[in-house]
Amino acid sequence: MNKAALEKKYTPEMPRKEIDELRSTIKAASQRVIAENIERMKKADPHRPEAMKYFDDIADLFGQRQKEIQAEKEKGKKVIGYMCLFAPTELILAADAIPVRVNSGWYDTSKLGDRVVPVEVCPVLRSTIGAKMIELSPFLEQSDALISVLTCDGMTKLSEILSDYKPIWGMNIPRVKDSTQSLRFWKDEIKHMKTQIEKFTGNKITRKKLKEAIETSHRATKAFRRLQDLRKGPPVIMGRDAMLVNQAYVWDDKKRWTEKTEALCDELEKRLERKDWVCPPDTPRVLVTGTPMFWPDNWKLPTLVEEANPRGIIVADEQCSGERILNDPIGVDEWSMDDMLNAIGERYLMASTCPCFTSQDGNEDRINWLLNKVKEWNVQGVIYYVVRGCMLYAMEYTRVKKALDKINVPIYYLDTEYTREDVGQMKTRVEAFLEMLTARVDF
Amino acid sequence: MDWQLIGDILRLTVLAGLGIAGILAVLIWKKNLATKVTFLRLVIQAVAFAALFYFFTFSIPLLYVLIGLFVVTLFLGRFYCGWVCPFGLIMDLESMLRKALKKRYRIIPDRLNRALHKSRYAIFLFFMLTPIALWLLDPPQNFDFAVMMARLLAGPFRPYSVLIDPMIPNVVPWTGQLIINDINFSYAYAQDIIAFMGENIGQIFLLAFVTVTLIGGFFIRRVWCRFCPTGASLGVINRFKAFKWAPLLHIYKDEEKCTKCGVCKRVCPLQVNEVYDQKGGKIETSQCMVCARCVEMCPYEGTLQLKLGNKSTFTSRNWLEPSKSE
Repeated sequence: MNKAALEKKYTPEMPRKEIDELRSTIKAASQRVIAENIERMKKADPHRPEAMKYFDDIADLFGQRQKEIQAEKEKGKKVIGYMCLFAPTELILAADAIPVRVNSGWYDTSKLGDRVVPVEVCPVLRSTIGAKMIELSPFLEQSDALISVLTCDGMTKLSEILSDYKPIWGMNIPRVKDSTQSLRFWKDEIKHMKTQIEKFTGNKITRKKLKEAIETSHRATKAFRRLQDLRKGPPVIMGRDAMLVNQAYVWDDKKRWTEKTEALCDELEKRLERKDWVCPPDTPRVLVTGTPMFWPDNWKLPTLVEEANPRGIIVADEQCSGERILNDPIGVDEWSMDDMLNAIGERYLMASTCPCFTSQDGNEDRINWLLNKVKEWNVQGVIYYVVRGCMLYAMEYTRVKKALDKINVPIYYLDTEYTREDVGQMKTRVEAFLEMLTARVDF
Repeated sequence: MDWQLIGDILRLTVLAGLGIAGILAVLIWKKNLATKVTFLRLVIQAVAFAALFYFFTFSIPLLYVLIGLFVVTLFLGRFYCGWVCPFGLIMDLESMLRKALKKRYRIIPDRLNRALHKSRYAIFLFFMLTPIALWLLDPPQNFDFAVMMARLLAGPFRPYSVLIDPMIPNVVPWTGQLIINDINFSYAYAQDIIAFMGENIGQIFLLAFVTVTLIGGFFIRRVWCRFCPTGASLGVINRFKAFKWAPLLHIYKDEEKCTKCGVCKRVCPLQVNEVYDQKGGKIETSQCMVCARCVEMCPYEGTLQLKLGNKSTFTSRNWLEPSKSE
């Protein structure tokens, strides 16, 4: 390696032995955490749907899905990773490549990330850097290129740091989302990404293939919405289960995921007929919004809420690790290449409620969407979850609180870190909030 | 022209219109496309085409048609433009042809589009005021009401024809005055242009108009509807404060459910931005022709509604079915 390249490197050189040691210990710990989380999810719901078994298997990041991707890779398929949800996965699918999301949820690797960036930085990024340093995340290792959409400041710099290892394609996203010029700009970015993906994979994205990819994601959205609608009534599925199902979409095979989710919905519909609730229907219904929670480690809040005393149930979330993945379909008017690309561009830019945007009225969409969710899902309390260092979500809290105060729905700001140490303290806080909600329900 | 032939054409066209409508209706019923407004709209357009054809061959006094049109507009907004107008049907068919050929459509820049929408009023006023101006230049000696009306309606620019022209010449092909090799070409405004400009210049202008609207209609969705003086005259009714209640048929938007995904803006054949821009509630614009394409395509359940009075007739829903229909 020449000197210039060495100087450019962000991450410190680590001896091979240390990397391997760290990886094996953290991997073992992580597998334990996955198993434990799933065990607790199973225990929480005595009549857990059969179809969840598939998602339990797929949730093992080091298991089945990793091997599948490896096998596909050996056949010559490319894997393209992405960090933010704005990466046009339909284009990746249409080019016969596999899209995977590579954000990391490991607590332990965030400490390794501290060697590169200061602790004040958002732990999601630190954890991703750490995972790359010890080559932990299977999907990050397998991806041949990364699409990094420059949303928040952290993501922008993260792409620079990861460029030590992989080719990174930055996508410039406009910050004002509802103006004509930003839409024009973003559509150009999408078109550029299309040529880039074509060049990289060597497969041409044809009209037919793109149409097929869009229809695949339509079907996935349909299944997802069916699941969401089932959560509107009395609880038939634990919030954690549904969140896991949603999140599995980012690394699973899209068609198989759709099938399995439909099967899950069939089962839940039967359950609805039997009136077999997972918990008493008067359990406080909670919505979680804020920083994304990534499987496997960062699962503490949903676990706490649903195992607390008194218990709560998560009926909806507004997070980019949850419902934002699939909520918006691509509205194609005419199935010409041009219109499909326009539709993809609009879906990723305009429909998103990510707080990295602003608009003439100040990201009103997110608040409107939250209010709508609170109404439609009969939410009784909102937990605003923020990890330290996540500026965007933290700063939007005041506005969200004001809007929710108007309709008299309590909101609770919960800030935390990528660590297990504050679980006890968080438990007290969550339980106090849930107790207050229960009192309100009784009242 | 031979009455026998006219009769044959009449019967055939009415039959064809009804037949197309019938086929579409069966398709809707068979394929469970009841949610597809686009199909319903085509059925109504085909039926209306047949009906208009039938009516016009009996030369109903145009005044009645006009009155009927205004009453419909008062209650239903520009329903006529979106669901009945045969000229609109021609442009819709062109769009369908373009879709079948997998060609993309062009977009008129927003500012130009708004200017075109404003220019409708200028065209409208020009057509309406010219006969009055001509009349004033040459005032009649005798102020008999019947004579005055006759002059007004028979002048070089017949004001009423501005209002119904997109309807008649398309429907009744033999009234066109552009004859090439004994074939009558008929088109909107043909009679007016020729009556005003004389045969030769008129034909040139007419040809230009036909090319512009036919070719333009292929690349730009509903191109003429953006300048159509008929549309202006219909839209203007809903602009008066006194008629705020008037378009009983209108599009309603639920502010909270909307995520501003922009689908409504993109699918609109007239590039109307108000549905997207307005905060919520009743959409107030004289440009919208309530074709309900936005309602059909809106991906959030219950966000956009086509309301008749206070009753919602058609609501946006999850349209996420596989795209069999297109």
